[in-house]
Amino acid sequence: MKTKKLTLFFLLIIGALILSACTGQPLTNNYPGLATDGERAYISTGSFIYAIDVETGNQVWSYPEDPETELLYYANPVLTEDGQLLIGSVGTNHAFISLDPATGQEKWPEPFSSAKGAWVASPLVFNETIYAPNTDGFLYILDLNGNQMSPPIELGGALWSAPVTDGTYIYINSLDHHLHILNPTTGESADPIDLGGAAPGSPAIGNDGIYVGSFASDVKFITPNGNNEVIASASDWVWGTPAFDSETLYFADLSGNIFSLDLTNNRQNWDSLQPDGPVTASLLVVGDQIYVATEAGSLIALDRDGKIVWEKTPGGKIYTTPVLANDLILVAPYQAEFALAAYDADGKQAWTFTLDN
Amino acid sequence: MWELIIVQPLTNLLLWIYDTLGHGPHMFGLAIILFTVLIKLLTWPLNASQVKGAQAMQELQNDKEWQDIQKKYAKDREKLAQEQMRIYREKGINPFASCLPTLIQFPIIIGLYQSIIRALSATPLDMLKLARTVYPFQNVENIIPLNSTFLWMDLGRPESIQILGFGLPTLAIIVAATTWLQTKLTMPATSNPNDQTAQMTRMMSIYMPLMLGWFSLTFASGISVYFIISNILGIVQYAATGRANWRNLLPGGNKQTSPAKK
Repeated sequence: MKTKKLTLFFLLIIGALILSACTGQPLTNNYPGLATDGERAYISTGSFIYAIDVETGNQVWSYPEDPETELLYYANPVLTEDGQLLIGSVGTNHAFISLDPATGQEKWPEPFSSAKGAWVASPLVFNETIYAPNTDGFLYILDLNGNQMSPPIELGGALWSAPVTDGTYIYINSLDHHLHILNPTTGESADPIDLGGAAPGSPAIGNDGIYVGSFASDVKFITPNGNNEVIASASDWVWGTPAFDSETLYFADLSGNIFSLDLTNNRQNWDSLQPDGPVTASLLVVGDQIYVATEAGSLIALDRDGKIVWEKTPGGKIYTTPVLANDLILVAPYQAEFALAAYDADGKQAWTFTLDN
Repeated sequence: MWELIIVQPLTNLLLWIYDTLGHGPHMFGLAIILFTVLIKLLTWPLNASQVKGAQAMQELQNDKEWQDIQKKYAKDREKLAQEQMRIYREKGINPFASCLPTLIQFPIIIGLYQSIIRALSATPLDMLKLARTVYPFQNVENIIPLNSTFLWMDLGRPESIQILGFGLPTLAIIVAATTWLQTKLTMPATSNPNDQTAQMTRMMSIYMPLMLGWFSLTFASGISVYFIISNILGIVQYAATGRANWRNLLPGGNKQTSPAKK
């Protein structure tokens, strides 16, 4: 009997060890990432990154050839001036890779794999340096060959949004409710600024400062020396990056309100505009139109008075910020028939791209 | 409906406990522990009825009339079933009373898993779902993102400790061990080799630890914390009723020295 129990115990241990090698984190699911260089659009979704010809809507390449379950992508890919497409994995393998935008071939000999967390955020490329925020709370600083240039800077909290720069400082929002300001020349960072809530979107640069929306349901204006003030209140969480356009700031909240703030007097340009459900995507301002992508699956074009010019429903839910590619607005719906749809300024659908299974 | 009845209340309860505890490091683990204690307290009457039901079924196995009908209708299963139901009715025994608490546990386990994943919000989409889940009274802006650290674990991920380059799933082993311990302690002593209840319990003592251990290997370690605390409390509750069969932990300890016949 004793032998049987010992056998069972050891079988349990061995079984557990074997299973531990076979099992891992459940699949990480999220809406896709999207970027464009005007010639191609790049979508990151699940195990793949796709390049699509902007003119035709046809697939140019996909990466990788053989998908690996531990490598998953949904951050917005970032293009560099020297011809790289940068993106990190959100899977259990935290590889940060560089691809050739024309061919989809890996450009670095080895991925950068020192981060402990997932790459939800896109990196910033500034002065031939990659500033890559990670969910482990560190900002990794790499050269354009993927080599670490200096020890990572611990900012704290999970970093979900891409850093931005005004040419002097680098600004990084964190889920730890703070904005971090970094001087890239000295490597020093100022005291973090309390935002009152987590900030999953990037700040917007403008008027010698930045505009930041957060889960505190407001938008703050912050100057590089740390002065900050609430310039607008929303009725729900502000998720996306505010869109700065000269004297107006456009932003939306999770209740689906679209705001247009006159920055000369901090007054709203219109009273209440709630066209079609929650908005997490940043608003896109092109010419005289403001494009709003909603969770309900609509792409809405507004004029500057807040009137709906046209509305299209590519289907599914839209959480990803639309991008401008030449004269086309590209939108990447989630759980929809199409992975990508292109519309011109009049709302006419130019093409759609469907993922093959 | 599942979302409304199970996931939303469980997530809000977890968030409320976490917020009350002060939402710092390790507090989400403590919130899961307190949540488990609360669930155990709420299901205490059900567990007590399970113990009572199991005991009644066990005593029935040694009942002379019961044993007689097993022999008499061994080849007529339909008649045997009718006679069994008659005896259940006469003795006021509910044959499913011992299964009900276990069945109730499953939606809680599944709901808790979804709540933990939802509350920890590892992805933007999860965070968005969390925004829809929280009740208006929750001061959720202040507490998210939750700190998923508890002791050496990240409660949103399966746990393992690196030993010589190999990930040893310590929590899964503890879950399996405490499940085995609980099943063994609640296994009644028997002298009847054909005792169906005892046979089933013996099988449970093998399969349940393996199954829960596998769950712990695969899913977020917050679930493992729930399993361990739930098992320990189950053992404590059973011991408090004076029915814990500590002799089952010894080799050959599940044999009763003299059959108890009615």
